[in-house]
Amino acid sequence: MIAVKQASTSTTTPAAAVVTVPPARVRRLFDARFLVLLLAIAAGSRGLVAGVLDGPELRTWATIFVSISVQALPFLVLGVLLSGAVAALVSPAWLARALPGRPLLAVPVASVAGMALPGCECASVPIAARLVAKGVTPAAALAFMLSAPAVNPVVLVATAVAFPGRPEVVLARFLGSLLTAMVTGLLWSRIGRDDWLMGARRRNQPEAPGALNPDGGDHRWEAFAQTVRGDFLQAGGWLVVGAMAAASLQVFVPRSLLGQVAGNHLLAALGLGLLAVGLAICSEADAFVAASLRQFSLSARLVFLVVGPAVDVKLIAMQLGTFGRRFVLRWALLTFVVALASGLLVGRWLL
Amino acid sequence: MNDQRTQGALLLAVGATALFLSFSDLTLSYVRAGLRPLLGVAGAILLGLGLLSVLQGRRQAAGGEDEDWHDHDGGHGPRVAWLLVLPVLVLLLVEPPALGSFAALRQSSLTLAGGDGNFPPLARATGGAVPVGLSEFVDRALFDKQHSLAGQRVRVFGFVMPEKQGSYRLARFVMYCCAADAEVVEIVVRGDPTPRQPDQWVTVEGRWLAPGPGPGAAPNTVSDGHGGRLPVLAAETVTVTSPPRDRYEHSIYGV
Repeated sequence: MIAVKQASTSTTTPAAAVVTVPPARVRRLFDARFLVLLLAIAAGSRGLVAGVLDGPELRTWATIFVSISVQALPFLVLGVLLSGAVAALVSPAWLARALPGRPLLAVPVASVAGMALPGCECASVPIAARLVAKGVTPAAALAFMLSAPAVNPVVLVATAVAFPGRPEVVLARFLGSLLTAMVTGLLWSRIGRDDWLMGARRRNQPEAPGALNPDGGDHRWEAFAQTVRGDFLQAGGWLVVGAMAAASLQVFVPRSLLGQVAGNHLLAALGLGLLAVGLAICSEADAFVAASLRQFSLSARLVFLVVGPAVDVKLIAMQLGTFGRRFVLRWALLTFVVALASGLLVGRWLL
Repeated sequence: MNDQRTQGALLLAVGATALFLSFSDLTLSYVRAGLRPLLGVAGAILLGLGLLSVLQGRRQAAGGEDEDWHDHDGGHGPRVAWLLVLPVLVLLLVEPPALGSFAALRQSSLTLAGGDGNFPPLARATGGAVPVGLSEFVDRALFDKQHSLAGQRVRVFGFVMPEKQGSYRLARFVMYCCAADAEVVEIVVRGDPTPRQPDQWVTVEGRWLAPGPGPGAAPNTVSDGHGGRLPVLAAETVTVTSPPRDRYEHSIYGV
């Protein structure tokens, strides 16, 4: 009884009438009990329809899709927990004091601050969105989003292990990624417009009103839980979109196409940059894949390492959901070009 | 994603799946074992959060509270969140297998670091043969200056990728983080008269086809068709085995 009442109450809100296409009767089906039933059936019939995916392509697709989703989950949870902590505990005034106001200073500071977050790229998208919602200069928050997955200690150690006896690769990766974050952030502060980011300010605000009021100690915990839940559902859903895209590219686009451009320096760098976008490998593992791409020059492989954590299909999907369509195309293009150029520049200098 | 309880149920489903994966060997088909504790922690957090949401939703429904502020400002929950059910369903209903010969055919065989060409001593022989991982076999065959494999009877283990003319390749995937970054290592097996099925797991004992005499002689290798070189193993005994618990090899550096 109670459940039905709750469901019908929410259908009467105007927002629901606009957003949801299915009629109330169908929507009521899609509530918690339906989900529980569905999953109970699924759990009870484990592996039952394994034969359905008979084609080897589909089976490989399913394996890679599930792998990316499972692998990203702990890092996504880390990201939304930190986002929730920022939402509940950090006041905009404190952030304004901690970060320089001018992008010219704030962007480099935020880029270097990325070294402190030991995660991969899925964690940094919700955090960046939260920082923007808290009033941090978008260019600085976005620079943090670019640098965090690329220059943190875990990633650098993994790179050192994948290229034994070549410490210059680690240095080149560090500098290339830091350069990418700073240049993209500064360019964004010049050419970017805040209304391209409307999605972030509007959508991601399940913060309790008055959560930060001095008297509202109890609301703070509630604000934390609300933010974590909202961010997880949002970013997680888009992560699944990205995992589907990456699995499709891995299975249906033959990698041997790349072998034909290995000889040409610029084409090889462009090719490996596009490969990094398509594979969407976690930044903690991409160095090993780069190490195995032996037919390519070291600086082309550096481009692979610099582009990967900055822009890939999984990130594009998550940013599409978080920041909106007007942002994501411009951002992806800008980041790709800057990362490509940074990789080539640093590679020419160091490798 | 209309009410708080539905969101809670979704979190419970994803959290329970993550917790299940942290205990199940099924996980090893998708990610490295080291990720399992993290999956357990993430699962527990999501379960707690889901429970909280369900309880809050019940309380609000019971109190007839329609002043549900987070349901007004976009808190309807993004409809895209429903997609989170998809990996859960694929995982539970389909249980996709670890990567096999189809995926292997699409890649060039991995040649690992090689380093400076110096390798530690081989493991001790057990049952008349030296157990060698497939990636270690490839690494030593292609890069070892001392030719430590030469003359040794070795035992390797992997899945079959059939080829024409009686020979086949033996392959395994090397995983770093998850199956999306796994790379295949392959060797060519000669001298096994029995035709083998793709993806069949076999243990092969035999000897490495060492390069001819003389310093600087090129290793005796076969092209893998993608620009890579594959070492050759002359089989002496071949045994069909059940697949291992973890079907991937992992980076020899333990990362």
